[in-house]
Amino acid sequence: MYTDNTDEALIVRLKRNDPVALETLFNRHYKPLCHYCALFTKDFAAAEEIVADLFIKIWDNRHKSDILNVKSYLFLSVRNLSLNFIQKKKNPVDSIEDITITQHELQDTNTPFSVLSGRESNQRILRMIERLPARQREVLLMSRIDAIDKHTIAQVLGISVRTVETTLYLAIQQLRNQLKIS
Amino acid sequence: MEDRNTRLIVAYFDKTIDDDGLAELKEWLESNQDNQEIFSETIQILSASKSYFVKPDQQAANWARIQAHTATDGIAQNVAPQIDTASLNEHHEPKRFYLKRWFAAAAIVLITSAAAVTGYRYFSPGPVHPMEYAQFSNPNGSHSKIILPDSSIIHLGAGSKIRYEKSFTAVKRQVYLDGEAFFEVTHHTNRPFIVKSGKISTVVLGTSFNVKAFAAKHKVAVTVRTGKVGVMANLNGKSELLSYLLPDEQLEINTETGKFNSRAANAAAVSGWTDNNFVYYNTSLKDIAESLERHYAVNILFADPDLASIKLTAKFNNLPLSEIEDNLSQLSGLSFSKKGNEIMVTAHQQKRRNNMK
Repeated sequence: MYTDNTDEALIVRLKRNDPVALETLFNRHYKPLCHYCALFTKDFAAAEEIVADLFIKIWDNRHKSDILNVKSYLFLSVRNLSLNFIQKKKNPVDSIEDITITQHELQDTNTPFSVLSGRESNQRILRMIERLPARQREVLLMSRIDAIDKHTIAQVLGISVRTVETTLYLAIQQLRNQLKIS
Repeated sequence: MEDRNTRLIVAYFDKTIDDDGLAELKEWLESNQDNQEIFSETIQILSASKSYFVKPDQQAANWARIQAHTATDGIAQNVAPQIDTASLNEHHEPKRFYLKRWFAAAAIVLITSAAAVTGYRYFSPGPVHPMEYAQFSNPNGSHSKIILPDSSIIHLGAGSKIRYEKSFTAVKRQVYLDGEAFFEVTHHTNRPFIVKSGKISTVVLGTSFNVKAFAAKHKVAVTVRTGKVGVMANLNGKSELLSYLLPDEQLEINTETGKFNSRAANAAAVSGWTDNNFVYYNTSLKDIAESLERHYAVNILFADPDLASIKLTAKFNNLPLSEIEDNLSQLSGLSFSKKGNEIMVTAHQQKRRNNMK
């Protein structure tokens, strides 16, 4: 595999119909993309499916357009696909805020909750995270994914790096407040 | 709580904090008890957030699915001139294709689809450690049959050698060949069988085919017995489909010039050597001699080099060398005389000596 090729170099290879380039990209980004996707779907199996479908789509469309920033493109695409997925599952909602709030009741299977380390405090905090304003929740969790830095978050969400930081700190602050009162 | 301190705590948690930051953080912690509480809460929050994520466990399965898709789709999109297979099955002159941008560092990849399932799987290397190989080689004069851990059979030709990694079944099914071998590969979806001969790689899932690739000859010939093979050339990282091969078709590539052509072939005859059957169709004595030298461990010399260019058509079914000599002598009108391990071919007719077989 082309492990020392940059993402952009791999895209060039991809346009030349090289399936090994696709595989290199896949192995490189699969895990963080699944994590990001699960942030929305809360269903890890579904998240993995969605990410795999994305790579199939990337292969199919490899000649169609140029991807300038591969990483942002990947996460942005996953985000869109995830949101579509959620919308299909529930009634259509107006905004992501609605989606998050209606999903704070979580099912037991296939969610991060079902695989908790068992520490009660973690459970509590995770429940609180689900009740955060959508943007704060997204930034907080996204920042915990390996291989995503604040620049990627900024690009994917279309906000400045500074805003990413302040949103993160607000989220932490919010949670700290809730920890005190509960 | 100030942003500054939160930033430091996050950096500490992410292990991206620098020395100055660490010093500052320490100072802030020591200045006030409350700060320590803030610190531990924040760490707890970050840690809980991280625990949200679970390791994906469908990566391999999902890749297999994607790969199946790219194998069918990608190859189909790549086919340039359609090969008229009907005409290929008739006997006539071979079609020629010339690959203009061929570089010495080219590698040819053959991909085959057994049934409806197509797949090309490239396994990522496992932990880096020195590979252990099993190796087999045949001197001139003998060929052997090797059964691999996955039940695939390799008929290894004379003067040929093969080796494979001891981790054969577990990861990649890969062998390195210098010489000639006939492969009967057991079918395993998602586990391709790879034959590497110099810069040429043959990748199959489960078929039978003959590969003749003597490094010194700069020629690779692949003949398909069963199954279907797609031939791809890998030029500087770019994959291009050259041709499809069906049973009884042969692709011959000159690795020096880049010229390759495909033609109809009798695959059974090409791989007949595994049963000591040799078929030569309009073949020069030079090539016949080369083949016999390898299979019988003899040295064949021509008194006059022109003699070597005589072309013959002959078929030898499991014959001892002396009978082959007789046959060739009769067909060509030349004289074959054997001394020890050497056969001298001359134009003079000589009386046959003793030993009629």
